[in-house]
This record gives sequence, structure tokens and C-alpha cells, in this order.
Amino acid sequence: MTDRPSQRQDSTANGSTANDSTANGSTANDSAGGRVSGLRTRLAAHLRAIARIAQWEVSRSAGTVDRKTIALGLIGALVAVAIAAGAVGSGVAIDQDLYRVGIDSDSAYYDAVEQSSVLEPRPLSDPNVEIVVSNTHVSVKETQTSRAAYQAFREAVQSYNERQMAREPNQSAAFPVVVDLQYRERGALVPPGSRVDGGSGDGTGVGGGSDAVGGSGDSSGTTGTVGTDSSSGASDGDGSVGSGADSTAVASADDSSLGASSLGGMAGIFGGDTSGSPASISPPFPFASLVLAFAFLVPMNFVIQAYGSSILNERVNRRGELLLVAPIAPGDIVAGKTLPYLAGMVGITVVIAAAIGGGPVSVAAVIPIGLLFLSSTFVGAMFARSFKELTFVTVTVSVFLTTYTFVPAIFTNVTPIALISPLTLVVRDLGGDAIPLGDFAFSVGPILVAALVLFLLGTGVYREEDMFTQRSVPLKFLDALDSRISRPRSIATLSALSIPFVFIAELLAIAVLFVLPVDVTVPLVLVAVAIVEELAKSMHIYAAFEKARFARTVRVSLLLGGLSGLGFFLGEKFTAIVQLVGLPSLTLGQAAFAPSGIGIATAAGLLVAPLVLHAVTASVTALGARQGKSAYGLALVGAIGIHVVYNMQVVNALG
Amino acid sequence: MGNPRLAIARRELGSLRKEKTIVLALAIQLFVAAFSSFLVVGLVSLYDPGAASYQVDVAVTGGDEAVTDLLTAIDGESGLAGRTYPSTDAAMTAFEERQVDAVVEASTGSEGRIHLVAVAPDSGVETTAVVVRLRDALRALERTERAQRSASLTTNPLPLPPATEASPYFSFTYTVLVPLLLFLPVFIAGSLVVDSLTEEVARGTLELLRVAPVSFSAVVDGKVLAAGGLAPIQAIAWMYLLRLNGTGIENVAWLFGMVAGLAAVVVSLGATVSITAPDRRIAQLLYSIGVLLVFAGTSLLPLNPTNTAARLALGTAGLDARLAVVGLCVVGLVSLVGLRLVVDGVDPNELD
Repeated sequence: MTDRPSQRQDSTANGSTANDSTANGSTANDSAGGRVSGLRTRLAAHLRAIARIAQWEVSRSAGTVDRKTIALGLIGALVAVAIAAGAVGSGVAIDQDLYRVGIDSDSAYYDAVEQSSVLEPRPLSDPNVEIVVSNTHVSVKETQTSRAAYQAFREAVQSYNERQMAREPNQSAAFPVVVDLQYRERGALVPPGSRVDGGSGDGTGVGGGSDAVGGSGDSSGTTGTVGTDSSSGASDGDGSVGSGADSTAVASADDSSLGASSLGGMAGIFGGDTSGSPASISPPFPFASLVLAFAFLVPMNFVIQAYGSSILNERVNRRGELLLVAPIAPGDIVAGKTLPYLAGMVGITVVIAAAIGGGPVSVAAVIPIGLLFLSSTFVGAMFARSFKELTFVTVTVSVFLTTYTFVPAIFTNVTPIALISPLTLVVRDLGGDAIPLGDFAFSVGPILVAALVLFLLGTGVYREEDMFTQRSVPLKFLDALDSRISRPRSIATLSALSIPFVFIAELLAIAVLFVLPVDVTVPLVLVAVAIVEELAKSMHIYAAFEKARFARTVRVSLLLGGLSGLGFFLGEKFTAIVQLVGLPSLTLGQAAFAPSGIGIATAAGLLVAPLVLHAVTASVTALGARQGKSAYGLALVGAIGIHVVYNMQVVNALG
Repeated sequence: MGNPRLAIARRELGSLRKEKTIVLALAIQLFVAAFSSFLVVGLVSLYDPGAASYQVDVAVTGGDEAVTDLLTAIDGESGLAGRTYPSTDAAMTAFEERQVDAVVEASTGSEGRIHLVAVAPDSGVETTAVVVRLRDALRALERTERAQRSASLTTNPLPLPPATEASPYFSFTYTVLVPLLLFLPVFIAGSLVVDSLTEEVARGTLELLRVAPVSFSAVVDGKVLAAGGLAPIQAIAWMYLLRLNGTGIENVAWLFGMVAGLAAVVVSLGATVSITAPDRRIAQLLYSIGVLLVFAGTSLLPLNPTNTAARLALGTAGLDARLAVVGLCVVGLVSLVGLRLVVDGVDPNELD
């Protein structure tokens, strides 16, 4: 009710922003030449405004920092880095003296226990110990702690023996086995049962026993090349003993002609081929992407902290009012304020990419993540009521985005899943692979579009009545959605615009659930997909009804529902890009995308079915949204139910 | 009402409740913990041959005597199975066709050593699983070979006790998960104080202190109390949740003291930073760096907080760990006193 007075302002403000954002396209109505030149001058004016605001943002930010603070910060950062480096170098033991071992100081095992950092030797008389070691046997209590202590003791003896042997004069007797370990590339790997056409029809062969490689006729394009050059990466990765590695030209260390080396980057970063005694083999750290994620994403967290503060600062004490009344479009203000931070992010990314040896592709893959970081922080800062709330919003943003980019990249060997994350592109770029344009678009596209849509939403509430009022985040969100709605057609547009978010959410669900057996994940994915899609189709309708944008009649509800379904359907068709990367060939991918008619040989009926589904469920929720909050929730549950049933039918029909 | 400090603390908590941020904070912590557990369960099951029902097939080729020993070693390892192939080419073909996961070619080299050329797939997670298992088998082979050559050795290696089944997640739970759940609330608490103070400065509400019957130090105390008090409560709640989940947590009172001491240090740091550099951007940056310094610096100490927390929770800590907690609490008190000195030397209306 309190919103009522601002209603008119709402629509006028909205009208003006809408005009501004489309101004470039729809202004001049005279001759074509005049239109072009008019367009050019307008564009130049926009750019000038943006540049001016960016400059102002930089100088103002620089003004808040005095030299002392900068020096303090720099020194602190340097010391922290130095300490961290020292800690890594000296190997800080977080598990130091974790278990106490009762042992006589005459025991043959005493030295082994004493030299182990995890174990703490205690005299036999001490009752407070986990295990007791005598020369003939080890007594272990029936507790988990005691068993873990025994395990640690066994490892301590093993490494003690290694050290003893290293001092032996006769090294060939001390280390009678020399191993040369090489990594070799094979074709793409997909777990058994998770490929739709895998095996012989029955996609349920996940049973534990057999070997994970499936063996059967899954894609063969094998490329028999050595992943990375051995000599460079081998020595620095692990401080290996490297005793008698005389035989370098071993049987199969052949020409390292370049080929597809999917995770080759990993072997390069973390000590690839090794040779020496078996103990010196250090298995490659499987999560190269973890390191990459941290290298690229951690600096972004610092940038968004500053960016969020800057945006929220505009909203404190109506500081941003002066800018708002200036003859500058809100879009230009936002662009200008964002530009310096984006530039900073790009700079940092370029430096990091150069440091780890990535090319332009790596930078191009990471920048969209940075944009999404910035755009969600922008929206968060537009919604947050206080600095505290902003902190939690930024933390949520970074946790979510880190998960989104990191989890799929773990499965770098299962290409369609891994491509969800742009970090996979970086890993591949480091490995020197060419990246098909389709793969690149699949990985980066949703993120880029989502970032742009978020900026659009945030700019919609970059106006007086939203910036300087204290309203809860959900209400602000509804405001932001509503600000993009002017006529029924906008509902369809918004539905279509929600596609990248739907896509991101569904992909995240697939990536997270990928490790579970297919029997469990397919229903889970179906439900997740239904929830995400129904929310995406109905939230803006609810927002519009709440803001009294449309009459609350059945006819209007049905119209809006139909439009929303149509918009969503059309938007979804663009996601046909998933076909390019072969995601539908995975069972999970099929479960998520087949119900919308992607990746299946579509009969005419199947083409229309998704449209009907979306229109029906959206109408159901629209009818609910008409009646208010609780009715909306109820209708949403119903729509999700319909959607799940439909999805099940389609997947069953296909399977 | 009584003490104005308590009133301010209550107001702080009230605003947290109103904005429902505390729910978000708890959700984030839960997510981080769940996420790291997810990672580690995945990681550990790779490193531990018994943890996953995943068999690695190894193709073995090469000179006869070495091959027999190698096969014995491979078959002695759980999760590994060896197959002999007549030639390296045949083995490599089997490898490419994915009939086997690794190839080991054995030959007798100089000085009677066994030379092995091992080929593992370069495919991320699978590589680690294969290599870890292969390494265990090869170490077993090394032990047998070494025993056969014991005449040429000056010292005999200690006999290795037999392997047993032990939970591979055990050590992780105490050395990573428990400290994470204990210290995350502390970090968030400091950040809260920074936000709260810089916001007062940004909104200019500290001006009101001139007419209000509260002192600036009471305001700071109230905020420190609200944020810092929340941290140990959250931490202990996590510990009880872990207990419910079947993970034994000992010394809960000592852990509480430890988190309280650490919270005092970190929250004082946050407050000091935001008083000296009241712009939120700078303050948050400096605070983050400062916290990094605190955690990195203490990790170099022999009784670092992570290790102490792990040993306390595990119940294997001696007197030294308890003394470390007492020491930490003393440091916390000292930083609170230091904060008071800083606050007293500052005119809130000069902050900008």
C-alpha cells in the first residue's frame, strides 16, 4: 500500500530508462544518413559521460586513501605472502603431535616415532596414549583415534625406513627398484552407464565391481602422445630422490608431437613424469583447477569488495542524488562506475594468465567470470540495506561462483561436464589445445549473458525511490523485476532473459550431482530442473501483480502465463548450443535438456509439447500469483509437480 | 536497560536478525564445510585404495624374473590386478583400448636393479587413483627386493607392521574440518565489526554521540561484544552438530575459550582498522590482510591454533595445548585493552 504513491514515478522513471537503453536504436526518424550520424553523436556523448564518471570514480577512490594506508597495506600483504611462502616451504604441520605413542626409548621403533611430526613419543608409564609400541607388537585400543594413530605409526615407520636406506653406501641394494613414470593421453573418458548410448541399451550398469573405464565401444579417438614434455616439469614439482635415473631414452618416450592433451596442463604444473625409487613417486595433484580457481578468483573477491562498497556508498546519505539529477542516463553512471573495477580485474587477470603461461584464450575465458562477479555484486549492493548485509551478499556471490566454476572443472576428463566451467578452457589453453568455438560459447555464453542481464536488472533500480529507501532484499528484487515490465510483452522478454540463469542453475545441478549413481541423479535433476524453470517463469509475473502493474483478472493471468511460457520456450531454443558440445549424450544432460526438446529427433508433436507445457505451468502460477503470496506459493508447487511429471514422461519415453 | 554497552550489543544483534543476514551467514558456513568435505571425501577415496571399490588393472610385460616379483606385489595390493602381456606393444595397445589402466614394463638393469617403466593415463582424477595404487604395489616390491639384498646393507629396515582398515577421513575431520568450523565464525565476526563501524562513519551517525548519553567507547564495546560474542557460540554449535553426527569432540570448554580468545584478537583488529581507516573499502581490505597475517603468523608457531584445536577436539592434547589456549585468551584481553586505548585517543567526530 505504501508503494501506491510511488507508482506513477515508477512508470515514468522506467519509461525514461527504457528509452535511454534503446535510444541508440530507435531515435532518428529522418534519412538513413542522418540516423547514422545522429547515432554516432549519441554514442559519443554516452562514451564521454561514461569516461568522465570512470575518471571521477578513480580520482575519488584515490582520494580516500592516504599514502600511509597504502604503505601499511602493502607491507602487510608482503609480510603475509612471505609468511605464507615460508609456511609452505617449511611445511607447517597442522597435524603435529596429533597422536601420543607409548614407547620405550630403547625400542628399535623409537627413532621412527620421534622423527615423525604426527606422533609424539611418551614413556611407557604414561596412561594417556593412543597406542603402545613394543619391539614385538603394537597394542591398539578399540577406538577410532587409536586406529588412526596406528595408521600414522605405520606410515612413520615406512618413511623412516626410506630415510635409513638413503644413507646406505650400497644404493643399488637399498633401492633395488627404479621406476620411470610417464603419463599418456587416451581418448575422452566417460564413466560407465552415464553415456546414453553406452553399453548395450540398459543404462543401469553402474554396479560397483567392474573397472571404471567401461571398456566397451565408447568414443575411441585416441591420441597416443606424451602429455607434456618430461624434463622441465619433473624436477621442480616434487623434491624427489631422483637416484638412478640413468635410462632416459626409455622404450616409449617417443616424439611429443602435440595433440589433444586434456589435463596435460596438470602434469606440467605439478611435476609430471618422474623417475626414481617407488617412494619418490608423487601422484599428480588432481585438482589443477583448484589452484587455477584460487589464482584467478581470489583477487576478484578483493575487487568486488571495493566495488560493492563504492556502489553502496552512493546510496548512503543520498550521496548519489547529485549524479542522478545530472543529465546522465543511469546506464552511463553504472557503466562509468563499473569501468575502473572491470579494468582492474582485466589487468589482474592478464598478469595472472601471463604468470601461469596462459594466452588470450585464458583471459577471454576468465573475464566473463569477472563480469558476473561484478554484476552480481552490483545487484547485491543495490539491494543491500547495510554494509553488513552487503558483506554477506558478496560472500554468497563468491562462494556460489567459485563452486560454479570449480566443481565442473574437477571432471576435466569428462569433457561435456567440465566445459560448464570456463576454467576448463584455461586448463586446455595451458595444455596448448585449440578450443572449438562451440565449446567456448557453451562455456562462456551463459555467464556473459547472465552478467549483462544482472546489470540490466540493477540499472532498473538505479533510481531515487529504490536507491535511498530501506526495503528488504526480496522486495527490492521484485522492484527490479517490475522495473523491466511495462506491458504484457515484457513478461515474455523477461522469461527469455531468465534463460541464462536457468541454464547456469541446471548446469550446476548436473555438475554437482554427476558423481552420484545415475539412478539417483536423474530424478533429482528432473526435480531441480522443474523448480528452477517454474521459478524463472513466474517470479516476474508475481512481481508485476504485486506492484499492480496489471489487472488481477483470470483473463490477464492466462495471457501473462501464456506469454511467459512462449518467451521461455523461444529463449530455450537458443540453448540448442548444448548440442554442439555433446552434453545431451550424457544421461544427466538428457534428463535436463530433453524435456525441452533439445537433442532428440523431434517429431512435430514433441516440438510443440514443451511450448504447451511452459504455457500451462506458467498460467497455473500466474493464476496463483494473482491472489497473493500464499496462493502463488501453492500454485508454484502445483506447477512444479506438473513439470516433474512431464519431464519423467519424456525421459521415460526416450529411455 | 542498565548498561549502555549491552543495549548497543542488543541493537546490533537485532539488526542482524532483522536483515536475516545471520541465517545467510550460517548457510554459507554450512555450505563451505559441506563443500570441503565433498572435496575431501572425493580426494581421500582416491588416495586410499580400500576406500573406493575401484579396481585398477595393470598390464605387466618384460623380463621374466622381475615380472614374477612384480605380479606378486601387484596382486598383494588391494584394488590392483595384474595381467601379463607378451610384449610392450601388446600392453600399450591394451592400454589405448582401455582394457588396462596402466602399463609396467620390467627389465633387469645395471647392478642387478629392477628397472620399471610405468605408464599411467593422463586424465586427471583417474591418474591419481592409478598412480597411488601403483606406488603402493611398487613399494611392496621394493621391500621384498630389498630383503633379498639385505646382505649388502649395513642396517636392516624396520619390519613394517601390517596394514589395517582405518577411516581415511579421520585425520581430515580433525585437522581441517574442525578448525574450519571453529575459525570461520571468527573471521565473519571481525568483518561484521568493520561493516558496523564504517557504516556509522559513512552515515554520520556518530555525530549524535555529542548529545547522546553514551560514549564512543561504549558504542565500540557494544559492537565488539555483539560480533565477538556470536563467534564462540556459533563455533560451539558446530561442535555439537558434529557430535550429533557421530564425530567425537572432546574439550568443548577449552575450544570455546580458544575461539573466544581468537575472536577477541580478530574483532579488536577489525575495530582498530575501521577506526584508523574508516572508508569501508580500505578497512575491509586492511582487515582481510590483517587476518591473513594473524592466521599465517600463528601457523608458524609450534602451538598454532589449527593444530591446537585439532588436538583438543581429538582429546590427545596435553598441558601445552591448554596453556596455549590460556595464552591466546591473554592475547585477546591485551588486544581488547589496546583497542580501548585506540578508541580513547580518537574523537569520533573527526573520523571521516
